[in-house]
Order: sequence, then structure tokens, then C-alpha cells
Amino acid sequence: MELKERLGKEILFFDGAMGTMLQARGLQTGEIPELWNMTHEEVILDVHKQYLEAGCDIVKANTFGINPFKMEGTGFTCEELTKKGIELVKRAIQETGKKAYTALDIGSLGKLLEPLGDLPFEEAYEAFKPVCIAGEQAGADLCLIETMNDTYEIKAAVLAAKENTNLPIVVTMVFDEGGKLLTGADMEAAVAMLEGLRVDAIGLNCGFGPDVMKEFLPKLREVCSLPIVVNPNAGLPVVVDGKTCFHVGPEEFASIMTEIADEGISVMGGCCGTTPAHIKALVEKCKGKKPLEITDKGRSVVSSYTHAVVLDSRPKIIGERINPTGKSRLKQALRENDLEYIYKEALAQQDMGAHILDVNVGLPEIDEVAMMKSVLTGLQGITDLPLQIDTSDMEAMEQGMRLYNGKPLINSVNGKQESMDAVFPLVAKYGGMVVCLTLDENGIPETAEGRIEIAKRIIAEAERYGIQKKDLLMDTLCMTISTGQENAKITLDALDYVRNTLGVHTTLGVSNVSFGLPQRELVNTAFYTIALSRGLSAGIINPNSEKMMAAYHSYCALNGSDTQCTDYINIYSQQADAPKKAADKKEVTLYDAVVRGLIDSAYQAAKKELETREPLAVIDEELIPALDKVGQGFEKKTVFLPQLLMSADAAKAGFDAIKEFLQAKGDASASKGTIVIATVKGDIHDIGKNIVKVLLENYGFNVIDLGKDVPPETVVEAVKENNVKLVGLSALMTTTVVNMETTIKMLKEEVPECKVMVGGAVLTQTYADMIGADFYSKDAMGSVRYANELFEA
Amino acid sequence: MKVDRKETLRYLGYRGSQLDEQTEKMIEEVTAELERDSLPKSVYREYDCKVVENQVRIGQYTVVSNHLAKNLQGCERAVILAATIGRAADLMIKKYSVVNMAKATVVQAAGASAIENYVDEVEDEIRKSAESRGLYLRPRFSPGYGDFPLECQKDIFQMLECSKRIGITLTEGNLMMPTKSVTAVIGLTTEKYQSCHQKNCSRCEKTDCEFREE
Repeated sequence: MELKERLGKEILFFDGAMGTMLQARGLQTGEIPELWNMTHEEVILDVHKQYLEAGCDIVKANTFGINPFKMEGTGFTCEELTKKGIELVKRAIQETGKKAYTALDIGSLGKLLEPLGDLPFEEAYEAFKPVCIAGEQAGADLCLIETMNDTYEIKAAVLAAKENTNLPIVVTMVFDEGGKLLTGADMEAAVAMLEGLRVDAIGLNCGFGPDVMKEFLPKLREVCSLPIVVNPNAGLPVVVDGKTCFHVGPEEFASIMTEIADEGISVMGGCCGTTPAHIKALVEKCKGKKPLEITDKGRSVVSSYTHAVVLDSRPKIIGERINPTGKSRLKQALRENDLEYIYKEALAQQDMGAHILDVNVGLPEIDEVAMMKSVLTGLQGITDLPLQIDTSDMEAMEQGMRLYNGKPLINSVNGKQESMDAVFPLVAKYGGMVVCLTLDENGIPETAEGRIEIAKRIIAEAERYGIQKKDLLMDTLCMTISTGQENAKITLDALDYVRNTLGVHTTLGVSNVSFGLPQRELVNTAFYTIALSRGLSAGIINPNSEKMMAAYHSYCALNGSDTQCTDYINIYSQQADAPKKAADKKEVTLYDAVVRGLIDSAYQAAKKELETREPLAVIDEELIPALDKVGQGFEKKTVFLPQLLMSADAAKAGFDAIKEFLQAKGDASASKGTIVIATVKGDIHDIGKNIVKVLLENYGFNVIDLGKDVPPETVVEAVKENNVKLVGLSALMTTTVVNMETTIKMLKEEVPECKVMVGGAVLTQTYADMIGADFYSKDAMGSVRYANELFEA
Repeated sequence: MKVDRKETLRYLGYRGSQLDEQTEKMIEEVTAELERDSLPKSVYREYDCKVVENQVRIGQYTVVSNHLAKNLQGCERAVILAATIGRAADLMIKKYSVVNMAKATVVQAAGASAIENYVDEVEDEIRKSAESRGLYLRPRFSPGYGDFPLECQKDIFQMLECSKRIGITLTEGNLMMPTKSVTAVIGLTTEKYQSCHQKNCSRCEKTDCEFREE
């Protein structure tokens, strides 16, 4: 029988550890076990046979560590090692005459993916791909992706298996004692993503013995609608005399596993430290037990790389601010590739209480696919909120879904056949909840009934792709009441029916209701409150609006979903103090605000100054003198780094006020000049460079920040393209100073007129001279001084 | 895992002048967030050790380095260790670099203090086990110090299964991620250098010790 048919219907058994067995046969610490497929064929074969004799149903091939990074320099290709690994299992099955499935065993690459590490997602995918292909060709029956501790890497592996093979996919992960993966995901988040990707079974392996793993199972069962796999260690690893030992013997192991079986587990086996004796005892005790029936938990959930957001009785907030519609500043940021502005918007919304962030970067004049990819990647590096991929460009949608680390919200599909034909296959493949707009080829129905009809059609069509109602978020379309007062009622009636009769979650772009009206926030707030009471599951709103948030928190207190009004009390019990603080701020001058590092006060004070003074005067007579005072204090060591930077941030807020003032008048702000900065190739420590950037910007320079780990060619290219006369390079490590030298050499050859200043922990004046830098800066202020001299000359 | 506040200030370049209330509060907040979110993990193993001239043999592993050889001179055993405080510091630095550079800098300093502190804790554990066997610790020595090549990170990672066990990975340039991580070799010797622990050098009577830190 096919493995897929048996999964979840009877208990199946994996084999135990390979590494432990090989160590007992002489494998040294640090030696690559997979090479034994070639060098110690008989040993591998014998281990497989022992496990088969012990009674396992699934044998893991000795392919766990095979990937291009680890195999480099071994003299073997991933393909040949994988094929041999699978062949050895097949041979063992044949020679023992047992019936068993062969698992292609895939482990971690040992590299951290971008944006937190340096391995691009698609390169991870490419690393898994040849192993998957070779495994299937050699006759594997399933693909076991195991000992994983990063959801993003798991996603790359799952996609590599899904797109290149027809094998069933089983994923097992290592959670720590806190129930999290090493890269931060909790169980719910990991399960949400994997169910979205439609793997065949999910589980736990390695890390702990069966006793600790057992504690995790209730939680896993609560959130998981798939068959569950448990492959524990024979206890915690203990190092004795340089050797790793495991202390849970076969009998003890099997007896705890019996209890685990009763938790409703479908597949069991062993990881590190387990031996054929463990598996034999396990099979003897658990064979014939029936796993509990696999039930759909019916959870409507999206996830980020750390946590899941569940749509339930407590409404959720989707932050609408990263959407250029009607926002000229965001449009400008997108055109100028000013991602920092977008990140700030994201963090501000997170601080105000958004649960999910909408990400729409569509502008006719930009490459939306590329922008979606870079914004999504960047956002996932700074916020842990789930994201809503909001685009009508199918390529941007697919690339976004592919790159997303978690189970995204997709915005949107609608009742047009063309739209459903395009979007639903993507949701079926990558997973996600999807916003469904109740419009079709005939436009937006003018009645609630019309919209409900479309909703029903969308639900039916989604089902054809195996997308259940729980993964739909119906948007009954909010239209402005200024063009038809019945619009609100139509939307709300349809929303009510969808949520309360069809049982599907709902969303609305709430602020659309007030287009064309004065004081829109008033109408929005009232409409939002009504919509919540009619069944709005997740409104797309502006979390920076105090009134909207007040409506939200009040509603949650009133409907009982904010238990004991805890959040309401936490948020609003301190508000009485706020006016007093605001009064204090008004007293501070711009100069003082910058010196003392008060961001809000600096912004307010600058605005006030601009009422009576020219922008240039405010800069020259207030901002720059204040920065200079702090800068001098820093050089005299009376002010230290955080204070310097707080002042810089405050000055930046002052400059922002001035920029806004100039923009409103239609003036472009003048820049002292453009400087390119970069952390050199190989170096991933870039905080020093970031400090320099903040200070240079505050002194009026336009800074092109190339980031970290930047190849020399990229620096040269940026200098040429922007006709730049100063470059700042940083390197923290001795080992990367060589790359600094290479970069300087290349700059001197190709753009000899460009000056190079350098800095970093290991650099000295002597070093800087040796590698041909024009200026060595011992700290961030030094770079400002040099830039000032150079550009004023 | 705790952050040593004094060390944080030292890394930030604080020289004992005024520490205003606002800065102090910010340091407190950032430190608390880092302590809350960090997930310190470590792994270490002890091996036989043999030094012949500039060749050091630890278990099955051989490395050529004058400085490491000097450090491990006379040690029959050595511990290889890896430790990290996890990703929280890196994430916080990334986040605060966008909205508040001052905070980012404090995370950087507090993170450095935290990993040092944590490795000290791990080392104390190793010290206790060693002393019960009549062995004493040499100062820890990391790849990248002196002529101990950074390339050795690869081997250490393989020997300790760092990425699988504690989630540290190496970049192409052999730098560690998360960045607040440490790998090191610690020699175990029967000679009792009483206060060889890196922070107690000044208290040690053996003033001619070549491992002495000023």
C-alpha cells in the first residue's frame, strides 16, 4: 500500500539513529558520515539490516548531511552520495526480505538564510534540489526533512521536494525547552506554514528524549491537522570523555513511547542515541496500536517566522500604512528605493498594535516584482508580524509568496474566473489565507445579496483547489457613503451574512467608507465599530489613528474578548498623565532638544521655529551648533556614544520637520554632497557603518548606504553611477581588512579622484596608510569632520 | 544569562562622566529586552591534546598555530566550546538601526557583554569539572586570535555540530551568525595557575605568566 494511504491510519515505525551506530563502528567526531556510503558500504548496509530486523517500516537513508556546502572538497557529488545512500537501503530491504519504505533523509544546510544570515533563499532551494532529484530517481518512497530548526530553511527544502519530485513529504523539527525553533518559530507558526505548504506529516525529532518530547504533544495536537511523527533521542546527549552518550535504554525508551502512542501519534521512531534494540522494544510495545483519528482543527491562521495570528472571536488589525494609494510620501520612498521609510512605517504600526501588516508596493513606474521581493525580505528582518502580500501583479504575488517565511495573507482574489484561475493555484501551492473580494465580471453588486452570491461562488471554486473556508477572508467591499448612503448598509449586511451564516472570516478596507467627506476619522471610527459588532474579523485600518485604536480596544473590552479588560486598562489607565508631558515638551528649544536627544521635542520645536525663521537659519543657527556641541563633547569624552546618537536622532527629527516644510513649499532641500558607504566584502558587522551614516546624514550629506558584505565591484559601480567624491569603508575583522585593501585598489584604479575614508575596530592609522586609504577615522565624528573639510574645500 | 552593565558602558566608550537619566533609562530598557529575548545555548567537548612545536593535536584534529601551541603548551587535555546568546541581539540591532540608532548601539554593547558573561558561566562549569579531576584551565583561545586561523571555525563547527545543537552557522568568510557567539579552545593542565581566569589576572601572584592580561 502507498505510504500516504497508511499515514494516520495505523502506527508506522521509523528506524533509529545512524550516527550513533557509525560512531560505535569507528566514525570519528567531525568525520562526514555520508562518505561512509562510499567507503564503508558494508557497515551502512548492516545498520539498515539491523533496523529492518528490529521491525521498522521506514528506513532513513544515510543522506542526512548531503548538500553542496558540506560535500565541497570531499571528491563526491551530492547526486552520487544520495543515490548510493538510497541504494543501500533498498539492498538491505531486499536482502532481509522485509517490507519497508525508503526515506530520503534531508537535514539542515548549516547556514542561516537571509535576511538574518547570508544565504539567499533561492540558493538554499538550489542546494536541496539535486538531492531531492537524485533521491527520487534512486527509488526513495518519501522525503524526510528532519532535524530542522528554521522555518525558512524548511520552506526551501519543502519547495525543492515539491517542485522536483512526487514524493510524500514528512517534516520533523527540533524545538527547544521553551517550545521554539532555534530561529524563533513556535509550534503554531511552524505548523501553520507547513500545513499551508501541504506537507504530509509533521513532527518532532532530536533534541530531547521521549519524556520531554511527550510534554510538547498536547500543544502540537491542538494546532496540527496532520499526522504527527515523533523521533526522540535516547535522552539528552551527555558528553563523557569527548564522546557523546545517551542514557535512556531500550526498555525505558519504549515504555515512554507507549504513552506517546496513546497521545494519538501516527509515526514513531528514534533519533540520536537510539539503536536497533530501542526500535525493537518500541515496535514490540506499540505495534497494532491505533493512532487517534486525524481531525481538522479548523483554525484560520496566518503566521510570521515567529508566531501565528489566529482569526477568532477577538478581531485583528491589519495595518494599512504600507500602501501608496493616496500617500505621496510613500510613493516618493518607493521611487527612491528608500526602504528605511517603509520599515519605519512598519515598526510604527507594530508599536501601535497592528497584528498583520499590509504590504502594497505597486506603482506603475517601478518594478513591482523586485520591490515586493526586497521589501518583504527587509520587513521580515525587522518585524515579526505576519504580512499581507497585497498586489494585483501575479508575478509579484507568486514571488512574494515564495519568499515569505511563514503562512502569509494574500490580497486578493475576486469572483472573476480569471482572477480565481490565477490566484487559487498559488494559494494551493504556497499556502496562505486569502482575501476574497465580492466582485466579478459584472463589477461590484449593488445589493448585499449580489455580494453574498459571489462569496458563495468563490468559496465553491476555492474548494476545488482544496482551499477550505477557514483559509478565506471575505471582503464585502466598503464603498464611500458620499456617493450613496446605502453603501454602508449593503457592505455590513453582506459582511454579517458571510461571517455569521456562511461561517467565513471577513475583512474590509474600512477607511474607504469616508472618501469625499470632511473629518473622515469620525465616520471611519463609527463605521469600524459597527462593522466589528456585525462580524468584522480583521479590519484593514490605520493603527496610528488614536480614535480607531480606541474604538478597537473599547470594542474588545465590550465583546468580552479582552479578558477582564486587561489590555484596555493597560493602555488607557496611564493616559491621564499624557497632557502634562506634552506641556513639558513645549518648553524646550530646538537647540536644547537636540543636545538632550529629545526626538519628539526636536520635531515640534523645529516646526515652531519655522513659523518665524527661514529654514536655512534654523539649520545653521540651531541644529548644526547643537550637533557640534554634542560632537565636541564626544571627542572630549564628556558625551558618550548613545548620547551622541540620541542627539543625532533628535536632529534628524528636526531636519524632517524642515524637509516637510520645504516640500510643502515645493523647494527641494539642498544637500552638501553625496557619500557612498559600505561594510566590505566578507564582513557582516555593520553597526559602525550605520552610526557613521546617521551622523553624516545629520550634517546634511546624502548617503548611499550599500549595506554589509559588499563586493568591491559594487562600491566602484555606485561611485561611478552617482559621481561621488567620497567613499567610507568599514571592516571589523582582521580577516576582512584585505577586502578593504582590494576595494581601495579598485577604486584608485577606476575612479582615482574619489577619496576613501576607512574605519573599524581593528584598523589603525598605520594599517590605513598601508592599504592606501586617504583618511583613517578613529570614530564616527572623525568621518564627519573629514567629509566637511573635503566638501567645503 | 545576565548583561554586565559596567561592561556595556565600557563597550559604549563611557569614561565616567555624567550619565543622564534619559540615557540611563534607555540602557536599562534595552538591556531588559535583550535579557528577556536571548536564548543562550552552548556545546563543548573535551579531547586529548598534544602539542609538538607549532602543531596542536586535539582529538583527531590537527592545527598549526604558534600562538595556540604556546597557549596549550603542556596541556594533555583541551576543551573545545561554542556558545551563543541567540538571535535576539541581531534582530534588535537590525530593528533599532532603522528607528533608533542609539538603542542599536546599546544592544551591540549589551550583547557583547552578555555573550562574554555567558561564556564565563560555561567556563565556570568546565572549570568545576576539571578541578574535580585535578586539572586547571588556561585562558580560552579563539580562532582569529593571533595566528590561530579563522578557517578552523569550520572544523570546530563540525566537531561540535554547532548548527544542529545550538543554531550557530558560519558565513562564507567564517564569521558566526548569530553574531553574538563565541568559539574557543581551552587547555586543561595539571599545573595550577591559580587565577588564570581571564578577569582575575591582576590578582594572580604569578606575575611572569605569559598569559597574563594587563
